[in-house]
Amino acid sequence: MTSSEDAHPVKPSSPLTSSPSPVLSKARRSTNSEAIRDHLPHLGNESPLVQSLTSTLLPPPITPAPRSVTSANGSRPSLYKQIDSRSGIPSPSLVSEGRPDEPRSTILRAFVPHVAVYASSDTEDLIRGKGVEGGLQELLRCFGERIQGKVVIRDSVGASRGWEDFGIRFFNLGDDPTHSGTGTLAHAVQADRQANGVPRDTDHISSLPTPGKSDRPMMDLDQVIDHYLSSDAPVQADQREADYVSFKTPRQESSTSTSPFFAIYLRKLLSGMPMVAHETFSHPVACVIAISSHSPAPIEALRQLYSNTSQGDRRVPGWVSNEYLRYYVLVHDEDTDDITKSTSLFEQMKRHFGLHCHLLRLRSSQCIPTDDESFRVPSCDWLSASEEFSDILKKEDAEDIEDPNKFVFESDAAAIRTFLREMVTQSIVPFMENRVAVWNDQVASRRRGISGRFMSLSKRWTGFGSARGSPSIGASGSASLSGNNYDPVHGYYPPETPEATMRRLADYAFMLRDWKLSQSTYELLKSDFGNDKAWRYHAGANEMSAISMLLIPQALSFRNQSEALDQMLDTASYSYLSRCSSAYGTVRCLIMAVELLRTRGAAAAEEAAKWAMRLLEFAILSPIAEALVVERVAECYKSRLGAGTHEWGLRRRKAALWCVLASDAWLRLERDSQAKLRLQDASALYGRFEKYSRTLPFAEMQNFWEKLESVLRSRSGDSGAVGDEMTEKLGHGLLVGEKDGQIGVLDHHQSWATRPGHGPAEGGLSSTASRTYGFSSAKDEDFE
Amino acid sequence: MSYYFCIIGSKDNPLFEYEFGTSKQGGDGVARFPAEARHMNPFIVHSSLDIVDEVQWLNNQMYLKVIDKFSTSHISCFLTPTSVKFLLLHLPHPPNTPPPANSTTFPFTSSFATSTNTSTSSLSRSALSSSSSSTSTSIATNPTSPQTEEAIRQFFTEVWELWIKATMNPFYHVDDPVKSPVFRTRVAAAGRKYL
Repeated sequence: MTSSEDAHPVKPSSPLTSSPSPVLSKARRSTNSEAIRDHLPHLGNESPLVQSLTSTLLPPPITPAPRSVTSANGSRPSLYKQIDSRSGIPSPSLVSEGRPDEPRSTILRAFVPHVAVYASSDTEDLIRGKGVEGGLQELLRCFGERIQGKVVIRDSVGASRGWEDFGIRFFNLGDDPTHSGTGTLAHAVQADRQANGVPRDTDHISSLPTPGKSDRPMMDLDQVIDHYLSSDAPVQADQREADYVSFKTPRQESSTSTSPFFAIYLRKLLSGMPMVAHETFSHPVACVIAISSHSPAPIEALRQLYSNTSQGDRRVPGWVSNEYLRYYVLVHDEDTDDITKSTSLFEQMKRHFGLHCHLLRLRSSQCIPTDDESFRVPSCDWLSASEEFSDILKKEDAEDIEDPNKFVFESDAAAIRTFLREMVTQSIVPFMENRVAVWNDQVASRRRGISGRFMSLSKRWTGFGSARGSPSIGASGSASLSGNNYDPVHGYYPPETPEATMRRLADYAFMLRDWKLSQSTYELLKSDFGNDKAWRYHAGANEMSAISMLLIPQALSFRNQSEALDQMLDTASYSYLSRCSSAYGTVRCLIMAVELLRTRGAAAAEEAAKWAMRLLEFAILSPIAEALVVERVAECYKSRLGAGTHEWGLRRRKAALWCVLASDAWLRLERDSQAKLRLQDASALYGRFEKYSRTLPFAEMQNFWEKLESVLRSRSGDSGAVGDEMTEKLGHGLLVGEKDGQIGVLDHHQSWATRPGHGPAEGGLSSTASRTYGFSSAKDEDFE
Repeated sequence: MSYYFCIIGSKDNPLFEYEFGTSKQGGDGVARFPAEARHMNPFIVHSSLDIVDEVQWLNNQMYLKVIDKFSTSHISCFLTPTSVKFLLLHLPHPPNTPPPANSTTFPFTSSFATSTNTSTSSLSRSALSSSSSSTSTSIATNPTSPQTEEAIRQFFTEVWELWIKATMNPFYHVDDPVKSPVFRTRVAAAGRKYL
């Protein structure tokens, strides 16, 4: 598909030629010619801008363009179709790719397989000798966040798709991945958490995390965000180049812009997923078992490590399945050891352990930045909040300027990348695909058919079903007695029960981005968990079902699915909050849902705002998070595009209200720069730059506004009024409005002139409007 | 229930503002908005004009019922043929508690907090409404019951009549604020009568 075809949906003629919305028909009836005359210059201005905008937003034309065509021609009502065609967002998947801060891609990259690392002590010594304090896990982790090249994944129907942004997360086996930082990051909070965390005692069964623990990440999260806010925001953003490239130009593309702090918040919220029983995202999918060429008895060492993972002290807790992939790595020391010896050892490993082996060749000497071949280890984007917080503390403690970046040799970096790519594409992904296929065949499809339904009925009523329902994987003896696989005393399903297996199936499918399969599986699980009164599981299944539904790139048919979605989100948030008192779960669920809904067109943006408000009503957020969410509500309303000639259905005033609220909230938190930005946004939205409306319509609104401004002014200490600065910004804001075709200031006034049946009380209004419009665009050029 | 009534002209400019409280069920007719949320009422009403602009095309009635909701405040709307809008913001008081006089700093913290017990979830909400169904239909407590809707309709209709009489004044210009004290007392009387 060529680029001109890509731009087709925003061709200027489309609002006039496509099937009429109510607004259009009404407008035509009364002042047809006038409406078109007013409209055409506007469109003429808009189209090149929109085209250039969409061409920057849309990935190059190779992306699966046919999908966009089908979704635009789908069975949605004409209004939504039209809105879609105006915005140029046929399906959310097209826009999100390649933009690191886009919430959708953040969410995709948050749910990736977790891989445990378990290295022999001599391997850890070798890595530490290279200057990486955290050992092998820390070295691999930064590289693992983004696997080089495309990772091709086959879904359950056999279709393949390559993903550029696939990654894996490493954590030390035996640690909770939420605080997998280990040695270097040891600090009070962490020590405290390790003490309270999952104890690695002999009785693995009883060691479930306490419910209160899951709120710990929220506190750390807050402190991290607070840190970012208190360091001067824009400077900070510019320093962290790779992540915040988009920050410098957020206002240019206001319809999709994400405040950099919210991007951090979202990522940190999703990066520290605690290892819990009710979801398997942070359970190990595979384990890297590493030995080094220093080892005197390598095969013995491997055996020892392996037996430790299955029986010894590194066994995973009882609710985590022990059936994960073992991947054996031989780390060869390039500087001291003989490669022929290592190669022969590696051949021996291959014979013993099969294909899942790799020879990783690293140099053992430390690399300093001035070396010829030095390569800066990429910084970790997905440090959990507590780790990041302890990092920050450490940086503040260290007086002298110590370069926080680590360096390795170029050859090492290349070796690690090759290793990771090979491991992911040849072992982990095929392993997961295989597991998904097997479980889908053996467990889930039994439940999907008629007999499966019957089975679940008989299980519920007779109590024999569970034993018979899982012959292939062997029901655990203790649980099958009650006819109910849920263990209410310890609060989890043993990993070999059909329910837990299906949850793993769904999670694996989700991580492999086969959302259709995962959604249908979560759908099955929802009712099971509900019947067993396993509320945490119930909430989790509802949450993930809703999220996978939102991630399926096809358009939601909004009439029936939005109701289902509403119900799932409602159940999830209620179960998390009231039954499990897990604020973290509620916040995570609703924030993800809001962000995914927001990109799905007009009606969904309204829904998104509704859920964000619901989240505020729960009053579980910290003040900072609350301010960020208030900003998101404004963003939701802003991203809702108008339809038809007069931007019917715009939410300009709502957006302005929430901007004012956000500004107020930031002021209370004494974050003046943020407050100022929001006030400027609101100012643009209220159209205060128009000559005839320097003041807000209501006296009390004006009062409040002036109060905010005066507080800002007194805090900033400079005599220059905020208003002056605003006027400066205004031309800019207006330009944005034109570009996106959404912040038209006068459209609702125009609509009055053309309102049928209601006499034109102010006849000259629409001509006034067009005149003012011309005036303002002239003003634009002054500011350009 | 506290009310904030506002007449808005065709350029989003307020023509008339009036605040009052319920007179039913022993109410004294004094508005009891929380002190820190009161100044937000115009903002809320102004923002719901977005919804009015949208809803007016879907419906050929003049009375559009409850069109919007902000936290616990509900907004009813009535459109006149000259595209002057009557907006009524009604805020129910939480049951059995006197309206909060002073509260935390963020203007909506208190209202968000109080709203949790009514809107935590549809599950709890249905439980709540079924348990207190005897009182929930009265005008003073439930902003969405048919009784309230009807009372507001009557109020709007009466105010519309008064409005027409007031704006028939030959010295009145379109979109000027109405300052007539007679009009104000009559609106107050209508409020006492129906709400």
